[in-house]
Amino acid sequence: MGFGDLKSASGLKVLNDFLSDRSYIEGFVPSQADVAVFDVLSAPPPADLCHALRWYNHIKSYQSQKNSLPGVKRPLGQYGPPGVADATSGSAPAAADDDDDDIDLFGSDEEEDTEATKLKEQRLAEYAAKKAKKPALIAKSSLLLDVKPWDDETDMAKLEECVRSIEMDGLVWGQSKLVPVGYGIKKLQISCVVEDDKVGTDILEEKITAFEDFVQSMDVAAFNKI
Amino acid sequence: NMALRELASLEKYLGLKKPNKYSTQGDKKVPVLQNNNAPPLVGLVTIACHLVKEAKRPELLGDGAEGRAVVQQWLEYRVTKLDSHTEDTKSILKDLNLYMQDKVYLAGNQLTLADVLMYYGIHSVILDLAVQEKEQYVNVARWFDHIQHHPGVRHHLPPVVVLRNRLYTSRHH
Repeated sequence: MGFGDLKSASGLKVLNDFLSDRSYIEGFVPSQADVAVFDVLSAPPPADLCHALRWYNHIKSYQSQKNSLPGVKRPLGQYGPPGVADATSGSAPAAADDDDDDIDLFGSDEEEDTEATKLKEQRLAEYAAKKAKKPALIAKSSLLLDVKPWDDETDMAKLEECVRSIEMDGLVWGQSKLVPVGYGIKKLQISCVVEDDKVGTDILEEKITAFEDFVQSMDVAAFNKI
Repeated sequence: NMALRELASLEKYLGLKKPNKYSTQGDKKVPVLQNNNAPPLVGLVTIACHLVKEAKRPELLGDGAEGRAVVQQWLEYRVTKLDSHTEDTKSILKDLNLYMQDKVYLAGNQLTLADVLMYYGIHSVILDLAVQEKEQYVNVARWFDHIQHHPGVRHHLPPVVVLRNRLYTSRHH
């Protein structure tokens, strides 16, 4: 993930496209994700990138409360559309700001000379790069879920739309079919592949049953390790 | 009655502990709130504004004189253009889409009653939009998805899927 080089016109275009149907970088409230990207931009985006400009002006209005916005600043490569890498020059891992409070017990806050900062940033960049290297083998499972509606009048097409709208890192939806269970009621049987350490069946159940107007319950019909 | 369900949802959003008892009047079923010994309050917008004040959330009515005027403008729009069906849906969506191009909320930089009541009012329109139309009115779709996900807002209305699966690669050339 990432936006390419946010200090260049092409990176700003990626940001603009990304924000065309989103109010924020992540989720639905302003967070440190927005702060992380905002801080990298040296100026407001040009007027022709109207979505990026709209987002920029909105986040600017939170400047006074930026430190109290929820979340934690992460490196730019963890935001944005998949399939694009972060290529912004000088984007030091934001972890630097958060770790300071824990480690710096004997150091002095004022005593930040450029040498020490550079060294710290370099060490943190190496640490972040190490963490970013994904393991070659990712444990995955294939699940078959039974999603039951309230009655035979529930709109199963909309129910399926709701289920497929659940987006999570490590979750990929697969094929589905409607299976009659009696009295005119059909259940949605949908398969998905999940990365074990990112997605669990309880969180899937939570998210699916959140569509309380359509979904009565969810069960795991089959579970196979890949 | 949709108006009463909206008011119940609004009470939940505002955290008002005791739900009010409403009645309706006329064949349009306009909501009425009996207000102890004071004269009754009539109308969705009137009652909604009263609830906001009762909950001591004045910021939901707008920030500053201009902000408050914009909020009132959209509350009026809800009743006179959206509910009255005097305006063609496509032109409402076009207006809203143009208006939202540089805005995150209808008024200012925070959620206001304008966003909440417009969200309630336009829900059925968005529900029936095809995928291409949601992409055509991209700013309306963005605002709608934002408001329906705003903590505490969505109560009586089912979520509308505003697909965000437009692959980056399909737009890259």
